[in-house]
Amino acid sequence: MRHHWTTMGTEASIVGSDLTAAVIAEVERGFADVDARFSLYRPDSELSRVAAGSLRLDDASDDLRGAYARALAWRARTDGAFTAHRPDGVVDLSGVVKALAMADAAALLDAGSRDWQLGVGGDLCWSAGGTSGPFGIVDPADRSAVLAAVVPAASRRALATSGSAERGEHIWTRLDLPVSPFVQVSVLADDIVTADVLATAIVAGGEATLDLATERWDVDVLTVDRAGELRATPGMRAAIRSAAPVG
Amino acid sequence: MRTRAILGSALAAFSILAIGWEAGTSNGTLATTTTTDTGGTASGTTGTGSSSSSSSNTTDSGSTSGSDSSSSTTSTSGAADGTYSGSVESTRFGDVQVQVTISGGAITDVTALKLTDHDGRSVQISNRAAPILRQEVLASQSANVQMVGGATYTSEAYLSSLQSALDQAGF
Repeated sequence: MRHHWTTMGTEASIVGSDLTAAVIAEVERGFADVDARFSLYRPDSELSRVAAGSLRLDDASDDLRGAYARALAWRARTDGAFTAHRPDGVVDLSGVVKALAMADAAALLDAGSRDWQLGVGGDLCWSAGGTSGPFGIVDPADRSAVLAAVVPAASRRALATSGSAERGEHIWTRLDLPVSPFVQVSVLADDIVTADVLATAIVAGGEATLDLATERWDVDVLTVDRAGELRATPGMRAAIRSAAPVG
Repeated sequence: MRTRAILGSALAAFSILAIGWEAGTSNGTLATTTTTDTGGTASGTTGTGSSSSSSSNTTDSGSTSGSDSSSSTTSTSGAADGTYSGSVESTRFGDVQVQVTISGGAITDVTALKLTDHDGRSVQISNRAAPILRQEVLASQSANVQMVGGATYTSEAYLSSLQSALDQAGF
């Protein structure tokens, strides 16, 4: 079964052999709730009221303050490459909110299905022990083509890809950092939040953050730089080799 | 020429070999890297994995015959086929050891063996992202993918995306 819908200003898909309509409805509702609270495109969202100054962060909901704390913790872990603020200083949690919503959805799906795959805005996560791939990674130079396919190692549960090609405003680059050499960064990790945050951080922080991420976290990374050259960690190379059809 | 791969600072060697491998087969961007070679020496037999960070830099277990390995006869550039393990080197990441595979006179793989950091934790220094050739991803492109990941899809971009095509196919 395959289901597609629109949420959080982007597109979402679920694939699974044993998905029920009830589970799908629950997942959709979860994303809608998160969007209602965190969207900066909705003037009535809780985060928009914080951004506008009409709601103090101290008075915000536990959910919002929790997401803000997570974002700040990731900023510290990535030496500032990941950020929870727009350049104008407004709190912007879009970097973690979608991934947190996907993690919530993953818990719902795990409870209701043995074999599922979820894609939201180009980021993917899937069931443990289910069908893990092959997953395609878009070619940033030709978005109608697959750059590489991967069959991730068994522990991996998520593939996140960030880039500057499509939605430039998604990633804020710190002014004191050099321009990123990467047009696209894909990260395989054991959870979607780690994968998403690190993919975003590596695009923003460039080579220094790439080295930091591969040193500090158990992740597989594939980067495409401005000249189209590829870089991959050994785990990513193995995942790519595993995806190649035999013969 | 005697089979011998000198691996200096293991990390530096890793990047040099990876870059050298790329440079030898494509027009990859060359980076200049310098290393202080403290001289770990690899032995020339397949599967040798036990080196140690001993005080001697030039322990050489293959000095009398570098060609007694069964796979060393086709060598054209002096390096016999086989897998070579460098000595253990201390780096700021902890102790590191690199393994190189040579086939047909060319380096076909470079891996860092799993080692420990200063706290004794097991780490994979091999997790560094190194340049790879485009041809390494070619075969995977024909895989029958279930889902496609990419940088964030706006709704407009989604309509022309591979993921949209997969969703419409509805399998």
